[in-house]
This record gives sequence, C-alpha cells and structure tokens, in this order.
Amino acid sequence: MAGGDQEAARQSVRAKIMSLERGRGNDPSRLLKWSLRLGSFAALALSWELLARVANSLLVPTFTETLAALVRLLMTSRLWGALWISNQAMALGFGLAAVTGVAVGFLMGRWRAAERFLEPYLSILLVMPMSAVIPIIIMATGLGLASRVMVVFSFAFATIAINTRAGVRMIEPSWIEMTRAFGATERQLWLAILLRGASPAVLMGLRLGLIRAVSGMITMELLLIAVGVGRLILHFQGNLEAAEMYAIVIVVIAEAVLLTQICQRFEVSRFTKYSDRQRYSRAASWADQAVAE
Amino acid sequence: MIELKGVRKVYPSHDGHPPVVALGGVDLTIQTQEFVCLLGPSGCGKTTLLKAIMGLLFLDAGEVRIDGRTVSGPGADRAMVFQNFALLPWADVMTNVAFGLDLRGVSRAERERKAREWIRAVGLEGFERHYPRQLSGGMQQRVGLARALAVDPRILLMDEPFGAVDAQTRRLLQEDLLALLEQSRKTVFFVTHSMEEAVLLGDRVVLMTPRPSRIREEIEVRLPRPRPPDVEKDPQFIELKEYLWQQLRAMQISTAGHDG
Repeated sequence: MAGGDQEAARQSVRAKIMSLERGRGNDPSRLLKWSLRLGSFAALALSWELLARVANSLLVPTFTETLAALVRLLMTSRLWGALWISNQAMALGFGLAAVTGVAVGFLMGRWRAAERFLEPYLSILLVMPMSAVIPIIIMATGLGLASRVMVVFSFAFATIAINTRAGVRMIEPSWIEMTRAFGATERQLWLAILLRGASPAVLMGLRLGLIRAVSGMITMELLLIAVGVGRLILHFQGNLEAAEMYAIVIVVIAEAVLLTQICQRFEVSRFTKYSDRQRYSRAASWADQAVAE
Repeated sequence: MIELKGVRKVYPSHDGHPPVVALGGVDLTIQTQEFVCLLGPSGCGKTTLLKAIMGLLFLDAGEVRIDGRTVSGPGADRAMVFQNFALLPWADVMTNVAFGLDLRGVSRAERERKAREWIRAVGLEGFERHYPRQLSGGMQQRVGLARALAVDPRILLMDEPFGAVDAQTRRLLQEDLLALLEQSRKTVFFVTHSMEEAVLLGDRVVLMTPRPSRIREEIEVRLPRPRPPDVEKDPQFIELKEYLWQQLRAMQISTAGHDG
C-alpha cells in the first residue's frame, strides 16, 4: 500500500468525487424547475380568477380582488397589530413546548423509568383531538394570554417530545461505548454524542411542532378567544368582506410556510453533509479498490 | 502487563430471561508488547472480556490489573477498535480520527497534526474531508484504527475488527496492522472468531469456552516475525490452524445441545 502509483490513483479518485460534487451547483434543470413552479402558480391563480368570475358571487372573491385586499391590509396597522398579538402567544407557547418537549424527549429516550412513567400521557396527548381540550384550558386559565399560550403549548409539545425521543433512541450504543472508552466525562458524552446525535430528529420535531403551534394559535382564536388574526378573520367573515378574509387566510398560510422553510433550510444546511447520498456510493467503492491495489 | 484474576461477570435476568454468566472466572496474563488473540465460538463472552480490560464493566468478582494497578475505568494507556467501526457519521475522517485526542483535551493544532499523521499511516491520505458513508467498510475500519492509534496507547484492544469486511480487504488490513505494529510495538489483545487470523497475527492464541465462559487453553505461536508472505504454507501454521479448528468444533458440538 505504498508508492507513487497509489498516490496518483488517489488523486484521480478525489478529482472524480469533486466533479460529482460540483455537478450540483450549475444544474441546467434548475431553470426548468423554477419555470415549472412559476407555471404551476400562474395556472392556479388563473383558474381561481376564471372560476370566481364565472361564479360571480359576493362570497367568492377573484384572485385579483384578493390580491388588492392583501396589499391594502398590509399597509394598515390592523393586520400587523393582529399578527403581533397572535404571534405573542405563538412564540411563548412554542418556546415553552420546545424547551419542555426536548427535555422530556431526552429523559424518556435515556431512562427507562422516565419512559414508563410518561409514555401513556404522551401517547394520549398525541392522538387527542386538541380542539376538545381548548375549553378545559380556558376554564382553567381564563381568556388571557396565559390560556392562549397553554393551547399553543399543548398543540406542539407531544410532537416535539416524540421526535426528540426517537432521535435519542437512534443514537448507536457503540458511539456511546467508544466515547466512554476514550475516558470521556458525562458532560463530554452529552455534548459530543447525545445532543449531537439526536439533533437531526430534534430539529425535525421542532419544525413539525412549529406547524402544530401555528394551527393551535389559529384554531383557538377562531373557536373560542377572538383575538389577533383569528378575530380579524371572523370580523371580515361577519361583514361579508370576502376578499379581505381570503387575504388574511393567505397571510396565515404564508407565515406557516415561511417558518417551516426557515427551519428546513437550517436542517438542510447543517445535516446534508453526511446524509446518505447515492451518487457517492459508486465513487466510494471505486476509491476503495484503488486503495486496495 | 495485563493480569486478569477470577474475572466474573453476570448479566442480571431481563424480561423473563434467566441471568447470563458472561464470564465465569477468567484467569489470564498478557505480557507487555505481546500480541494475544482470543478465539472462541460466538456467545462465549469474548467482547465482555475486552470490555472488562477496557474498564467499561462493573465486575461481579475478580479484578483486572495493568502493570500491577487495578483497573477501575477507561484510561489513557488503552484504546479500542470496534467491530462495527463506531465512527461518528456527522464527522469527517479528520474529526473522527482526532476524536479521542479532542476528548483528552489536546489542542486543535496538535490533534490535527497527529490525526493527519495517522491518516497517512493507515493509507487514507487525501480522504481527510470525507464522511464515513463515503468510505467502504475497509476504509472505515482504517479510520477506526487511526483513531485508536492517534491517542498513542500502550495497549490496543481490538474486538473482531476485521470481521465485517470481505476476505481480500481483511487480508490487507491484517498486513497493514502488523506493519504498523512493527514500527511501534504495543500490547495487543485481539478478539476474533477466525482461526487463520488468530494464527497469522498472534504471538499466542487463547481459546475460550462458552457456558461457563472460561479460558480453555493457551497456545504459543512460534512463527517468525515479521510474518513471511507465504506464512500460510508453513507446516506449523497449517497444523496450528487445524488443531484450533478441532478444538472449536468440539466446543460448538458440545454446546449445540444447550442452545436448543
């Protein structure tokens, strides 16, 4: 396994792998992908516009009417004020769910006793129809910010806890053993292996939990405590201002999409480096032959 | 020198299974810079014994001593190579090799220098920034070996390290391991289930029996070092391998009944 031939072989392997890597950047299919996406959006907008004109109803606004309402609303403090109120509860509730969900997930993933103690409640929380619990929370905590925070929390908590637990369980026992064999302290083990090893699943849990938190926020505002964005939706619904109502719904959808996109970008940038990429497998097996020779 | 005296380990009953006596009082001495291969059928507690020396186990009886001092936990004098490589998938080759140094508080510049050195020694130069999944099994175990050697242990504990790779790759890994050890002698305790491997690598082969797990026999390997390329044609190699096979077969047959 020594000699100049081998060095040359390795260089060529590296060149091969690097050319595979580069292939991703200036992909000609990127343009196609984006034009398809834009095309799909244009088709949707166009059919909405046409269908609404055919229906010719006060209750079904056209695409352009909705767009105009959206622009009007974005320039008022009304929308931004409502978003601020709604997102206060969202941020607090989600933050609370993130901290406790991750902690409970780690506890359950690491200690069998904690798992046995908490597992039934977590399972119930995950399948329970949340709308049914909202009245209980409101009766217990009133109509203020606290109860809205609690609702958002209970929507997001179980998802985060369960994904974190799955992440902790996916940690290979051999990584822990190897780390211990090098004489690692308990703190080093947590930092280098447990937190790091579980983090892809934890981030996914946080993203899914965030989606649940947004839906918790809106559900509650529509059903029971009319504040913020929910109140605005109900207001426009009552006044038969269809275009405005549609515009608010679009804002809510946009927020949910934006938040998950941010999470996803973060996950991707951190974790694709070692994710299983098929295109490497051929280069890697070829490379091993070169080393073997 | 590693001394094991009456080492006993019982895994408590679990989910209705009866307790398992993984080690039933093992006595063994390994001299400094000796290469000892532990051979035995699967399920005879080989890995458990390795963990006992590593200091990863709480023993039910007996003790492990290294140079006269009782082992109570992992130490800087020992490093381990794992059967399934135990590489961190989120870290590249450089970071994996430097992992043990990192845990021991070695500065970044120093650990990168040492890691680079060992990556070259195991023949992976140019792959420093690759991730484990981009490497084949043989290359991954080279990373595992470099990681263990990078902390400069006096004792190398190896748990069927080449069991998960194909025959040709294994042969190359064996040759490279011997060459590396020629350069820096170490005490090696090598667990395997391959008779060829035990005879090819070891100064001594220790046979272990299952149920109760004990040392059955210790056999000196009187083949020259470094091992000549055609060592497998040596009559002593063939004879020893044949003898080990007879012993292993007898053990497998006598325990087959117990396994049900």
